[in-house]
Amino acid sequence: MGRKKKKQMKPWCWYCNRDFDDEKILIQHQKAKHFKCHICHKKLYTGPGLAIHCMQVHKETIDGVPNAIPGRTDIELEIYGMEGIPEKDMEERRRVLEQKNQETQKKKQNQDDSDEYDDEDEPGPSFQQPAAGQPQAGYIPSMSQPGMPPGSGAPGIPPGSYSGHSPYRMIPMGGMLPPGPGMPPMMAGVPPGMPPPVAHRPGITHMAQVPPAANMLTRPAVPAATVPSAQPDVTKPLFPIAGQSQQTVSGSPHPPPSTSSDPSKPTFPAYTQATVAVVSPNSGSSTVSKPPSTVTSKPATLTTSSATSKLIHPDEDISLEELRAQLPRYQRSVPRQAQSTATAPSMGPVGGMISPQQPGMRHPLPGQYGGPPQGMPGYMPGGMPPYGQAPPVVPPGFQGAPPRPPMGMRPPVMSPGGRY
Amino acid sequence: LSLYGDYCQQSCTFDVEVTSPPDDSISCLAFSPPTMPGNFLIGGSWANDVRCWEVQDNGQTVPKAQQMHTGPVLDACWSDDGSKVFTASCDKTAKMWDLNSNQAMQIAQHDGPIKAIHWIKAPNYSCIMTGSWDKTLKFWDTRSPNPMMSLQMPERCYCADVVYPMAVVATAERGLIVYQLENQPSEFRRIDSPLKHQHRCVAIFKDKQNKPTGFALGSIEGRVAIHYINPPNPAKDNFTFKCHRSNGTNTTTPQDIYAVNAISFHPVHGTLATVGSDGRFSFWDKDARTKLKTSEQLDQPITACCFNHNGNIFAYASSYDWSKGHEYYNPQKKNYIFLRNAAEELKPRNKKW
Repeated sequence: MGRKKKKQMKPWCWYCNRDFDDEKILIQHQKAKHFKCHICHKKLYTGPGLAIHCMQVHKETIDGVPNAIPGRTDIELEIYGMEGIPEKDMEERRRVLEQKNQETQKKKQNQDDSDEYDDEDEPGPSFQQPAAGQPQAGYIPSMSQPGMPPGSGAPGIPPGSYSGHSPYRMIPMGGMLPPGPGMPPMMAGVPPGMPPPVAHRPGITHMAQVPPAANMLTRPAVPAATVPSAQPDVTKPLFPIAGQSQQTVSGSPHPPPSTSSDPSKPTFPAYTQATVAVVSPNSGSSTVSKPPSTVTSKPATLTTSSATSKLIHPDEDISLEELRAQLPRYQRSVPRQAQSTATAPSMGPVGGMISPQQPGMRHPLPGQYGGPPQGMPGYMPGGMPPYGQAPPVVPPGFQGAPPRPPMGMRPPVMSPGGRY
Repeated sequence: LSLYGDYCQQSCTFDVEVTSPPDDSISCLAFSPPTMPGNFLIGGSWANDVRCWEVQDNGQTVPKAQQMHTGPVLDACWSDDGSKVFTASCDKTAKMWDLNSNQAMQIAQHDGPIKAIHWIKAPNYSCIMTGSWDKTLKFWDTRSPNPMMSLQMPERCYCADVVYPMAVVATAERGLIVYQLENQPSEFRRIDSPLKHQHRCVAIFKDKQNKPTGFALGSIEGRVAIHYINPPNPAKDNFTFKCHRSNGTNTTTPQDIYAVNAISFHPVHGTLATVGSDGRFSFWDKDARTKLKTSEQLDQPITACCFNHNGNIFAYASSYDWSKGHEYYNPQKKNYIFLRNAAEELKPRNKKW
């Protein structure tokens, strides 16, 4: 490296002056360290991109590039990898390198490797720490802590992010993911499809798509190997009955830690907060995770209609039942005594409203209905059922009881030909 | 213990039809709990009624009783001892039906139709949970006209499930809330929906220790999400799968995507059944992540399903669900409830349990 010509200088990061083996790794570094949103951990591509994202999505302004050294925090400079670096800074860099090369042959070797690990377990700049072993240490403690706060451990997989961060989407990053919220959307974005006879692990197949293979793929292996042993009990049932779980969950903007403070007996987090009793929608109450973005982010189209698929559903954003219930025929039927009782007595036990539908549906009851002798079927189609006349229909399992007067259930009026 | 053992073993080419089905679409089905001898099925319908049949061991069904609301019945459930049936209706009330006396009385009131009703049996309390389009989740001691508790939801309740001490409610606008029921019900966590379309049905599943550990959520877009509450590895453990779609995407005709109308878990095997607007039911093994079976296509959507307490019987209802709007509604069309021997078909693919 020392004797290289100046033009062959290694890719370096303008924001923090670090060196990298190749530009791809440099870009990864920039995305993880400088262009990562501190709110949602989404990785952008440039400084301006990050600024715009924060403004549009979080309504927040940022005044500088995160983790940048003084003088290099300009958020408006569009730098991507080695592109966009101001010429004077390039020259300055070359001069510095030349000096360094003359002094020492060896530059820090392992810095770029540790870079990737640094991203994940320490938000702050920790450039000088070398050992690749360190990140593992960083992983495990956070995994075994019952109260692993989802935010800190997130390996930069933007929860719910769909836009182009495919390298990070499908990697099962060991146990570093926030428990629950945010993760599922990633799975949904990749329709595994459950091909009928074949067991299919979508997560794993997609790892093949990951470009930065070397560094990223090795990572999951680490926690995967250790996590299970690190938390044998922690993953156990969420809802066992336990009175002694005292872990408070109030105040945490994220969903309550997944396990209690008593790892040997996984129990429910305590629910001491009274605020839960009345949780107004999107009020951001303490026990509720960030107001579900789902409420505001509706699916792009309710009706998925494309050249390849068509959603068989009315083009409305309400449920089928709500749609159907609007029909006049399903409006609350006003009980009209006169009409019903007029017909009922004449029909025996089950006031027979003849429905257009199944005139023939006579099901002779095995005498369960006792009394009324017509032997009318248990359910007259179109059924007006004033069981008033009949003894209570008591299946063998039920205790017998004497016949009762109408139970105050008003038969609906709709049946008598009233079907619109 | 096998229901209709000899009756159905050879001739299971058709499923048994329940006699005297309701006159309009069936919204819900529920089998009696194991505390009662025998099998009793209740079904609610858009004809404002809820009916009760006895299902005998030979497959015969015997209508037993019926109750009415003043609006379509949207959901129904049993008490844990099998003596009561609770019904929820568009008429904004819920009723408690005492089967012994065949009397029903109102036990709940909302400001909008009640879409989901579940019985909660906790060590220190028992109550009814009702979820309504009025955006509240209320809990009722059946002896009092006022709710024990009322929790505000972000949106209208579309579906819910309860397996003590966990409850899950899915709402409009893809809301998803988990409640814990220990000591008293309270909101536990709001979850970002794993699905991109309107939520339609939800069912809780249990782990090997028989504790609720997650749920299956179905949407109108032919997809079900399997979601664990606290998995060791959410990205790997949680997943979604497509279902209830017509023809493959490799044909020239566009694929029709249907709503998942209901999900039920087999009480013994832990495998699940989904029923859809496409008129089919499918059985799945969520641990092996494979499909076990898909039925032939019925000529109407399948709107509801349930297993009996020991998993020998799978009941499903064939009636119109409004998935193609008003124009396709034919009041004259008969509605069906079928019973199927479920003992064999829902065995898990691999013994992961």
